[in-house]
Amino acid sequence: MSVVCVLLPRFALAIAAGGREALLREPAALAPEPGREQLIGEVSLAAEAHGVRAGMRLGEALARCPRLVLVPPDPMGVADAWERVLARLESIGAAVESEREGVACFDASGLRRLHGGTLDGTLAATRRALERPARLGAGASRFAALAMAHRARARRPEVMDGDAAAALRDEPVGLLRLRPVTSALPDPLERLGVATLGAVAALTRAQLSDRFGPAGIAAHALVRGRDESPLRPRVAGETLAETLELPEAGSGEQLERALGLLVDRVLARRERGGRTVRSMVVAAKLVEGGTWRERVVFREALADPLRMRLALGRRIMLLPSPAEALRLSVERFGPLGGDQRPLLEDSAAHRAARLREAIAQARAAAGPEAALRVLAVDPDSRVPERRVVLTPFE
Amino acid sequence: MTRPRRLGVPRRARVRADGRGRPLTIDGRTVDSVRESWLVEDRWWTDRPLRRRYWEVVTVDGLDLVVFRELESGGWFSQRG
Repeated sequence: MSVVCVLLPRFALAIAAGGREALLREPAALAPEPGREQLIGEVSLAAEAHGVRAGMRLGEALARCPRLVLVPPDPMGVADAWERVLARLESIGAAVESEREGVACFDASGLRRLHGGTLDGTLAATRRALERPARLGAGASRFAALAMAHRARARRPEVMDGDAAAALRDEPVGLLRLRPVTSALPDPLERLGVATLGAVAALTRAQLSDRFGPAGIAAHALVRGRDESPLRPRVAGETLAETLELPEAGSGEQLERALGLLVDRVLARRERGGRTVRSMVVAAKLVEGGTWRERVVFREALADPLRMRLALGRRIMLLPSPAEALRLSVERFGPLGGDQRPLLEDSAAHRAARLREAIAQARAAAGPEAALRVLAVDPDSRVPERRVVLTPFE
Repeated sequence: MTRPRRLGVPRRARVRADGRGRPLTIDGRTVDSVRESWLVEDRWWTDRPLRRRYWEVVTVDGLDLVVFRELESGGWFSQRG
């Protein structure tokens, strides 16, 4: 298998700033999203030179670099732009996995015949499809490809040849931050004097597991050029979105009505074809500048407008300021509508009855201890065995 | 019907300690450092008082363990919770 990684560094910052050229002029960083924790987002190279890092507290960043320009985040614009990038990659036949904006991976093995029979041909096709400078890396695993992409230059892809463990040996342990499961490992490893992936590879699986648990086991695989989990490409899907302009900046009740209208419009679209909806994205363009975006995954796929409004309405309350445009888009569809329980009949008593029935079935299959619950009897007791007991789930 | 079952029940442990009661090895694992030690005294007004000296230690292979010595009846136990 050969995996190709496409890396667009500082993607969210470049989109929010209106282009990469804007980042060259002065130190810049993505401002914290309104209403969220006061941590800055991606930072420009000039800001990095002042010691500013992504994820740093706003106060500390401004203390390190008083000239720092804060760019209002544009999650809506970033998501749209990234969707276009992914669609371009999918246009060459790639089944793309993307865990965050700016990084995408795909398995190139099945594409070679489409692009001249070589990996170089696939990389060239990728570059042509993207139509923008990007760092490309290729390797035997996702992690190896990520490492190569970080090493690559904008116009020259890096391809890992031969033994992956040997190629990764001299890379810094900081690369483990690229995978969510091992993102917390580099700091303690560096404190312990383990600075390179080769030094991590010298440790046994038992040692890493004993010290770091599942993250250690994942790191053991990664430094040997194996992935801790297989590639999970997204299903290339259609886009279904509805937008409503709000001429007089909307908030509160007005927004709820607008949302209700958008839900009705999305459900009425012919492209839906009777399918239920698994997850949606509600986004807004804010009057004060910038955008806001929230992903809502329903507990079960549904097509009932009342239940949708209820789930989405709670999120719209989090909007940090009045909006001048509201957009609702379908992220994933569910199966064709069948078991659609209406809102009002699905009372708490009904749900409790279903839960009791499920517990009865589980006990019938696996014995009386199949469903237990932890009951805090004396949670503050100084004697640990008095704090909690396991009791039958009634 | 299943009866309630306690979680975090102490389990007997093989501990070698120095003269002052500080654990040196626990179930064959050498103790690297002591993080904390505390005394629990309870039910002293009953016929079955509870007196335990707890030790939270880190072993040389990186495990964080909590053990205690039963001061009334003697014996070492390990415990989670």
